[in-house]
Amino acid sequence: MKGSNYNHRKKIMKKTTVKNTRSITDKKKVSDKPSSIKIKKREFFMLLFFTFCLFFLIYRLGYIQFVKGEEYQKRAYSNQTQKRLINPKRGTIYDRNGKGLAISASVDTVGVNPKELRDAVGGDETKLRSIANDLGAMLGMDSEIIMKKFQANSRFEFIKRKIDRDTGSQVRAYVSNAGLWSIYVDEDSKRYYPKGNLASHVLGFTGSDDQGLNGIEMVLESTLKGVPGKIMNEVDVLGRQISFSKERYIDAIDGYDVYLTIDETIQYLAEKAMDQAVLDYNLKRGATCIVMNPNTGEILAMVSKPDFDPNNPDALPLGLLDEDWKGFDDAEDSEYLWQTVFRNKAVMDTYEPGSVFKAITAAAALEENVVTLDTPEVCKPISLAGHTINCWRKGGHGAEDFLHAVYNSCNPVFVKTGMDLGIAKFYNYFRLFGFTERTGIELQGEPSNEEYRNLQHKDPKEIDLAVSSFGQRFQISPIQMITAYAAIANGGNLLKPTIIKQISDSEGNIIKKVEPQVIRKVISEQTAQTVREVLEGVVSEGTGRNAYVSGYRIGGKTGTSQTLQTDSEGRYVVSFMAIAPANKPEVCVLVVLDHPQNEMHLRSGGILAAPVAGALTEEILKYMQVEREYTEKDKQEMAQEVYVPNVVGYSLADAESKLKAFGLEYEVEGEKTDPDAIIYNQTPKADFSIPQKSTVILYTDENQAEITVTMPDLKDRTVAEAIEVLERVGLNIRIHGSGVVQKQEYPAGTQLSKGQVVEISFVEMIGD
Amino acid sequence: MRKREYDFWILFTVLVMLAIGTVMVFSASSYSAQYYQNNKYHFLIRQLLWGTIGVISMLVFSNVDYHRIASSSPILMVISTIMLSLVLIPGIGTVINESRRWFNLGFTTFQPSEFTKIAVILFLSFSLSKNSNRLDYFFTGLVPYLIVVGVTAGLLFFEPHMSAIILIILVSIIILFCAGARIRHFVALAVPVGIIGWKLIMSKQYRVNRIIAFLDPFKYSQGDGFQVVNSLYAIASGSVFGRGLGRSLQKNLYLPEPHNDFIFAILAEELGFVGAFTVILLFMLFIWRGVKVAMNAPDMMGSLLATGITSLIALEAIINIAVVTSTIPTTGMPLPFFSAGGTSTVFLLTSVGILLNISKGTASTNFGIIGNNKDSYGTKRNSSSRKVGEL
Repeated sequence: MKGSNYNHRKKIMKKTTVKNTRSITDKKKVSDKPSSIKIKKREFFMLLFFTFCLFFLIYRLGYIQFVKGEEYQKRAYSNQTQKRLINPKRGTIYDRNGKGLAISASVDTVGVNPKELRDAVGGDETKLRSIANDLGAMLGMDSEIIMKKFQANSRFEFIKRKIDRDTGSQVRAYVSNAGLWSIYVDEDSKRYYPKGNLASHVLGFTGSDDQGLNGIEMVLESTLKGVPGKIMNEVDVLGRQISFSKERYIDAIDGYDVYLTIDETIQYLAEKAMDQAVLDYNLKRGATCIVMNPNTGEILAMVSKPDFDPNNPDALPLGLLDEDWKGFDDAEDSEYLWQTVFRNKAVMDTYEPGSVFKAITAAAALEENVVTLDTPEVCKPISLAGHTINCWRKGGHGAEDFLHAVYNSCNPVFVKTGMDLGIAKFYNYFRLFGFTERTGIELQGEPSNEEYRNLQHKDPKEIDLAVSSFGQRFQISPIQMITAYAAIANGGNLLKPTIIKQISDSEGNIIKKVEPQVIRKVISEQTAQTVREVLEGVVSEGTGRNAYVSGYRIGGKTGTSQTLQTDSEGRYVVSFMAIAPANKPEVCVLVVLDHPQNEMHLRSGGILAAPVAGALTEEILKYMQVEREYTEKDKQEMAQEVYVPNVVGYSLADAESKLKAFGLEYEVEGEKTDPDAIIYNQTPKADFSIPQKSTVILYTDENQAEITVTMPDLKDRTVAEAIEVLERVGLNIRIHGSGVVQKQEYPAGTQLSKGQVVEISFVEMIGD
Repeated sequence: MRKREYDFWILFTVLVMLAIGTVMVFSASSYSAQYYQNNKYHFLIRQLLWGTIGVISMLVFSNVDYHRIASSSPILMVISTIMLSLVLIPGIGTVINESRRWFNLGFTTFQPSEFTKIAVILFLSFSLSKNSNRLDYFFTGLVPYLIVVGVTAGLLFFEPHMSAIILIILVSIIILFCAGARIRHFVALAVPVGIIGWKLIMSKQYRVNRIIAFLDPFKYSQGDGFQVVNSLYAIASGSVFGRGLGRSLQKNLYLPEPHNDFIFAILAEELGFVGAFTVILLFMLFIWRGVKVAMNAPDMMGSLLATGITSLIALEAIINIAVVTSTIPTTGMPLPFFSAGGTSTVFLLTSVGILLNISKGTASTNFGIIGNNKDSYGTKRNSSSRKVGEL
């Protein structure tokens, strides 16, 4: 190899030597020599090389323009155009009768293109400042903040959002007069809740971009939101509009309107009742109330306390003292809000239902023919797996039939009934009544099926069955409880509860109508009717007596349970579940009161929740124009009321006979007591409705001042004691309920006219 | 002997490209000229002026015997070296964009590297045509030329002017290659030169950044990838027929200095694939005719000179379009006959003038295949040239 290489080299050396000699001898001839074949070959190679390169670049060009073309064009387009969004009008949320609960008002939003503005004024700082001052004055803003926005390195900044229309027009006029086209006043909308706190958990609230953050506003965000419109401009890199570009305008599509199943009036009544309960019982953890139409599953009212004003959701919650309150701007404050006032207890919280659940056990047992209403039972403590289960009444109720065991809410009888059913059947009914699954109501935060089951017995033993039969040691949500009762109320169908009635577009065309949805048949019509009759008896004769309302046939069940956490705030949850009217149910009402703090010796659903639920149910039925059907007993009680006749101007003798005719007593105040003495004044006044046997005070001296007396403290007095105490003072009494004084109309120490009627509520000290 | 004529197609393609280029300079620059110079005709007026001077220069040089120019090339090389040295001295050379490349003559700036490009081509063609036999020897033949080119490149490195260095080195290699340098010498040189070149490129962070940005321009679209990304947007927006003349959106300050290195992108945006393809075809036509002139040149000097001038323009065009289409990393390379620029336009057209002068020797205006030039010179061609033509 080496050798051949060497030879080759030698040959070339020879050749070149010859050429060199020639070039030296005749310079001119060499330079004129036509290029050699080797040069031409290599030059031709270069031509091929350049041509190849250029063809490759044509390929690249085609690749960019055709293969990647669309992608790059899109990116280029978003670079080259400036978009301003026009917010669509958010749909209105109405109650079932078309009363607006969440409304979007038209407002204006002021924005600026800072780069273009600075350009327009030629970067003149003082000019910018004067514009900032003018805008600041109009918008009620610090001009320094506006100045900062003017100096931002962007194509768009909000100056102030959601200003009212008048201010908007003012700014619009200013901007067009000054020719400041880079300041925009665009249409916008603002959420407004005309009823304030009413149904705040159901409605939810919206954020600064009008986005739903809670309740229906959040759940139906996409329905309510609509599609934003756009204003598009072609701009240069500084965001300035290009002369030949056209402004394109795409209209916004307004959001759909939502009609809830909520009835504003019933919601209001329920809110009022819960507010009062929170005050009366000092409910540390609030309260919840659900009103449902059991025939359709529609929620007529849903209340959760504490609540908030969706117009101003992050305001300092009532009763909280915090000088540094910052609301959503502070993570801790925000967390507090989400854990307390924003929590919809009706759906999100779970609790032990206690004796309210006994109706479910009874329904299952009756359906399975394990018991009948007249099955003889004995209420006495039961020992089971080392535990002793007592009735709420010490020593129990002794021998009774099953009906009375329900009236008296006897735990030991229910344990036995549960055992007779057996674990398999009992838990099958537990599942059939829907307690193991989420109800699917259109609200956020209901526990998942798994979360529910984690709060219930997974692999139930006998002792679990025993305590479950009277509603202890497992948790369900209030919405599940009322849905299960609705099945009893409507004849055995478990319905899917719903809070949405229909959805319509902005022109009123119905987009979606929610129809009642039966999930399954749970019990027979016959069993349902029997259970309703039993529940009516619970209210008229049993532990639900405090919920009794004359003229309305209310069925119901009381419940008391303790929360598992031991805390100092009184770990009771008391509840009452009402079905009314019991013979032809139209509403179910569930009241759950969390951590009552009153000074009663006994905290039970029968004492605390039943009167609240009874009074609320009465008001709802009145509003729904359900006719009262008075029982004989009702009529007797009502007959005791009389209208005071007018005796002013009559002689004492005439007055006496007149009052006697109405069954009223009298007492004379004044110098003159002779039968001819003229009556100048009377208390109570004429035409007032007062109880029979009340004493009317008659004044026989002209211009005599009415005598005032002091309201005594009636706490813990029985009916008889209360009557006696008031009689001594000189006040008339109207008695509500029976048992011991629960509430007096006027607090002790109030100055009242002698003879005035005071309302005193009594409650029976009953457990459940 | 027949009167010798210019190669018509070279003259034609150059004038067409110059005309399209001037229109595009106006279209591309008007928005930014209005913004920065407050006069949308700013670049148009300059381009018209320099283009006219360039065309006059082209016509003048097409009538000057290239032998006369080439024989003075050693002096031109000396002048070039002096100018490249002078421009490095602060106070004499003017700095723009951190590069000291210009003499400020008051009424205009002058870029000596433009002069250097032609000087190197002239010198190599002249010297190699005298000493082509010596290229067989590595140290006595090839190395002296490499030293000359190396010194020039070295001076340019201090400006720095990377694109000029790349051009001069590539054109020199092409001339040496065509002149008959041995391929194994190039192969032997490739490794050390490659390593040194790589080191020099990587020595400056901004060049490294450009390479990183090249690999994923969209990731750095607000930084080093900004130009390329906007160039791609412009080209893609052009689609088949373009937005129409004057309707580019990317020239609205998205693409910095759209009338310079990235004018091809604006052209592609406004005239579409059809327009951009036509421009590349014009370059192909020009290169074909240029190489044809080289192959049919009356002597080796003319042949190498024509090769050098054609290669210079071809390389500038290829590199420019490759940068604009993100085929190679960004380097500041103008598109010949299109990009705005005083010195470069004049020198470019001057070198075309020399090419035209060489073409007079070949004097072929017909569309014959390469090397088929019966009527050139009127003299007998040796059989070898016909063989090439049959390739």
